Amino acid sequence: MTSPLRTLALLAALLLSVRASAQEEIRIGVIYPLTGAAASTGIELKNAAQLAADLINGTDKSLGLPLAGAGGLPGLKGAKIKLIFVDHQGNPQVGASEAERLITEHKVAAIQGAYFSTVTTTASQVAERNGVPFLNADSSSPALTQRGFKWFFRTTPHDELFVQNAFEFLRDLKAKKGIQVKRIAIFAENTEFGTGAAKLQERYAKENGYEVVEKVLYPPKGTQLTSEVQKLKASRPDIVMQSSYLGDAILSMKTYKDLGFLPTALLANNAGFNDSEFLKTMGKDGNYVISREVWALDLGVKKPVIAKANALLQARHGVNFNGNSARAFTGVFALADAINRAGSTKPEAIQKALQETNIPGADLIMPWGGIQYDATGQNTKGAGIIVQVQDGKYATVWPFDLASKDVIWPMPAWDKR
Amino acid sequence: MRRGSTALALGGLAAALAFPLLATRVTWQNTAILMLMTAQLGVAWNILGGYAGQVSLGHAAFFGAGAYVSTILSMKLGISPWLGMGAGAVCAAGLGVLVGTPCFRLKGHYFAMATIAVGEIVQAVVNGSDALGGAVGFTLPLGETGFWGFVFNRSKLPYYYIALGLLLLTVGVNWLVNRSHVGYYLRAIKDEPDAARSLGVSLTRYKMIAMMLSAGLTAMGGTLYAQKELFIDPNSMLSTSLSIKIALVAILGGAGTLWGPVLGAVVFTGIEELTRVAFGGTGRGTDLVVHGALLVLIAVYQPSGVMGLFTRRTPPAVPPPEPEAEFP
Repeated sequence: MTSPLRTLALLAALLLSVRASAQEEIRIGVIYPLTGAAASTGIELKNAAQLAADLINGTDKSLGLPLAGAGGLPGLKGAKIKLIFVDHQGNPQVGASEAERLITEHKVAAIQGAYFSTVTTTASQVAERNGVPFLNADSSSPALTQRGFKWFFRTTPHDELFVQNAFEFLRDLKAKKGIQVKRIAIFAENTEFGTGAAKLQERYAKENGYEVVEKVLYPPKGTQLTSEVQKLKASRPDIVMQSSYLGDAILSMKTYKDLGFLPTALLANNAGFNDSEFLKTMGKDGNYVISREVWALDLGVKKPVIAKANALLQARHGVNFNGNSARAFTGVFALADAINRAGSTKPEAIQKALQETNIPGADLIMPWGGIQYDATGQNTKGAGIIVQVQDGKYATVWPFDLASKDVIWPMPAWDKR
Repeated sequence: MRRGSTALALGGLAAALAFPLLATRVTWQNTAILMLMTAQLGVAWNILGGYAGQVSLGHAAFFGAGAYVSTILSMKLGISPWLGMGAGAVCAAGLGVLVGTPCFRLKGHYFAMATIAVGEIVQAVVNGSDALGGAVGFTLPLGETGFWGFVFNRSKLPYYYIALGLLLLTVGVNWLVNRSHVGYYLRAIKDEPDAARSLGVSLTRYKMIAMMLSAGLTAMGGTLYAQKELFIDPNSMLSTSLSIKIALVAILGGAGTLWGPVLGAVVFTGIEELTRVAFGGTGRGTDLVVHGALLVLIAVYQPSGVMGLFTRRTPPAVPPPEPEAEFP
């Protein structure tokens, strides 16, 4: 029994040695799913966050974002940012334990995380209990900012804002391009994701004076959607708003083609329609699908800082930014901005600075109006974008001032592609 | 022998009572709480899986039942989670009867497979039910409430002692079952079901008693989880991986022994937490590799569970005859 005990003691000693800390660094805890089903996403998030921290600590000013190349935070005499990464394994209890460890052992000034809405829930509770700022850059559950927390700040838009965006897109189409939509059909898979989205879409459609002519929910693991699609077709909608995972997104598109169902546009709710497998399988039949996104590489056409940041990530890891990693990158900058203005690592000072955050959209690699939090901690200037598949690629078509391509409306017939 | 193990138990209890007062670091206390909570689940599982030999891989359903019943009662009706804990235990015992009635007709692996199915069904039902929070689950209100409200922010000590108390209660029930005629019947059912039946032991009845006790106690652990983490959702409360973890802890420690599951939980949670703290941030999964390797080592070299280490070391009452070669 002595040797296992000794091993334990050794591991415990290892644990303690991690605590070594220097005065001139600002420790930020970062909680992501580094193992488990979402590990590959977690590693992308980690790499993007680390790139952001290294840019702030380094002296290369070429990116052109404030603080990038500052050689540390000027507000704290050039103190460097140190990110301490921990793994939550997609488990809310582990997330809470790790948040607590970051706060009590590593004495972090703030925490960023955790991608999974469930883990963000528990980890931010620990931060709230301990009075440590928690910045969430990438969880979209609306409930997170409805808890009345004082230490929780979310930069990304949440699911409701994404639905709102779809209706703003329709409004802009009418105002700027004279495209009129009246009849909307809602088509969604029947688990949490689809039913939640369908509920919001129905509410916003009614509030904005559209007619919901049909609402069909289907089980996502079914092997055929013929009767569901027939129902849609019979309702003669102008557009279909669809929330589907990958398999059912592909199946539904094939069924549309087989049954000759062609709405003027298909407005998809990300997920299956933005999976890299979708276009591979659909080929040219996947063209003209319109979907919501949080970020797209072609935004770099109108916003050069995006292309520059992407080149840096490419050079280091050989991958492009995507919606998740771009938001993680932005989260670190948003925290650094607040800590810099706070001029201190005291939690109350950082909390106050976060509340006073006002970063203009030009200083972000996101297609947002900026970052400014409301009383619930939600960034009110976040926005999604809308992309359309054109020539087998996702092209930004809305907001119009960021668009790289014009939206193609209505969809050309199936046999004329 | 008896006196020795009683002294050991009392010493262990004293150490457990004193631990959080000496180890004041929050993370250590938290790890200890996780150990106690895991141990409690393992010991509760042991009544059915260890003594009665009915390996259940669906215990997350009972764990979830406890958490959901107490949470819904406290959030919707303002009933203290302490009462909810009792209500959850009763509901889980009832669920246990529902599960046991068809499943106890099955033997061995088939019973285990049926319990997996039950666990999955419960998860699917909760996932699809708006009244039960659906896939989103419930977020419990944060904020110190005092003893009756069962939420403690200022210190970890209340959670620690509640977890310890719950573990002792569960061990106590285990001990009583073990000593009573029920325990003998259960062991008979496990080892020789046909012989037991021929002697007039009602298999279903005693398996059902074990199921109800095991399910009820597991549910109490679920309530404690909900009140500690303040967030429950089907994925973290009702997943099959949780069911497997509960069974694994008991089997790893030594199924069918009183203290085996406790030991299993300490070792399992200890390895899990220490490897994650040491290697988790690298993102290379090193902690899981080390964790898995240690489990394999234990399974290979100590198939009767970690408890086997101790029972073997304990000197037998009568020394075995020494081999003659040693005394030339």
